[in-house]
Amino acid sequence: MPKSPNEIADELTQLPPSAISLTISDETYFDAIRGVVDIFASKKNLNTIYISAAIPSQSIIDVLNILEVNLENTYFVDCISHMMVGSTKRHPNVHMVESPTMLENLMLKVEYLIKKSGDKGNVVLLDSINMLAIHNSPKILSEFVHILNNNMRAKNAYIVIFSIEAFSSEEIGNMMGFVCDIEISMNKEEEK
Amino acid sequence: MASEKAKKDLAILDRERCPTGIEGLDNILNGGIPRGNTILFTGSCGTGKTTLSLEFLVHGAIAGENSLFVSVTEASDKLMKNVIPYDFFDESLIKKGTLVFVDMPVIYERLGLTEMELSLEDVSTIVKAIGDLVDELQIKRLVLDSVTSVCYRLKTEEKIREFILKIGKVLSDKGCTSMLISEISPSAERYSLYGVEEAIADGIVLLGNLERRGDLLRTLQVVKMRGTSHSRAKYVLDLTPAGILLVPLLKGGSGGGTT
Repeated sequence: MPKSPNEIADELTQLPPSAISLTISDETYFDAIRGVVDIFASKKNLNTIYISAAIPSQSIIDVLNILEVNLENTYFVDCISHMMVGSTKRHPNVHMVESPTMLENLMLKVEYLIKKSGDKGNVVLLDSINMLAIHNSPKILSEFVHILNNNMRAKNAYIVIFSIEAFSSEEIGNMMGFVCDIEISMNKEEEK
Repeated sequence: MASEKAKKDLAILDRERCPTGIEGLDNILNGGIPRGNTILFTGSCGTGKTTLSLEFLVHGAIAGENSLFVSVTEASDKLMKNVIPYDFFDESLIKKGTLVFVDMPVIYERLGLTEMELSLEDVSTIVKAIGDLVDELQIKRLVLDSVTSVCYRLKTEEKIREFILKIGKVLSDKGCTSMLISEISPSAERYSLYGVEEAIADGIVLLGNLERRGDLLRTLQVVKMRGTSHSRAKYVLDLTPAGILLVPLLKGGSGGGTT
């Protein structure tokens, strides 16, 4: 049995602000989002900065709306939708980055949202490292995650990086182990 | 020997700073521009020169330092519209006179400088007029946008050198920290159109566009800055309502050239 959204939120709540690699699967994808965006962020009274590199932010918003998740304090940095011709619907909390290869611009949007949040704490959710790996070389991706993690650490923010088990590679696994403080899996310990 | 070097390093760090208010740039400069320096902000069109200089003035005005924008090419009222979207902008700065906009063509007209080509004597007249304005308004920060447009009317290297040297000295003597905006073509291999400005300025900040695999990134690099140690690395910038933000340029995939 995989962990429930509440269980993953409880696990995160016990941690100080840190860089966390969260291994998920297709079936635990939305539970993991719910655990971080809804339960964990609410418990800690944090803003969520959701970097969507896997699917367009609007699709995530639609699902979270069905799940009745309050998105008032959730901001999206979407680097997928701009590449889709004909995508016009735009949520006010969505900030677009032209392409998932513009990693510096992803960092700049996160910086901007953190600056706008004032004294309120933040959790940055990167969804996902595997999708960014499709568009970027491992070298530049490692550099990006390293700088992003350190920037967030300096700002006392949590950063949760989704790693999709089925699409992961040894290289990505090593990188996440190297640049993240903690590795958590959505699977329960005994099932690993 | 080591203590001599330490003393020298300390003296550099000790020099009074004029914080730009742009967090990333102040970090690059170890606290800000050394006060009284005349800096050349150079780049091709669309790289953020005017926006950056306006933010420098707005932060100065908020901190209570009278700030002056001398516009050579664009009308002031049009420029003012560019500062209004800033979250931190307060319109009362203009009403109180802490943030002042002056059109250079108005100065030319008042000085009776109607000839297209200005003489050496005219150079002295313009520098004096700007100096008087700085005194009268007690200006601590000044932007001249653009010095290239002024140089266009000076024509010769001698007059350009004279203008930059004189304006730099006058402003520095008055404790005014200044940004001279310089326009260059994207392919230029120097930092100013006439090649004179870059040699005389106390600092050079290069703004550019970097093309990488079809993406166009806005970049900033401090090439030279007298009176402070500083990073010479390239940074990527974004123009946001919260001001200019900077992050380091990732080097892992950097294979493109500057456009």
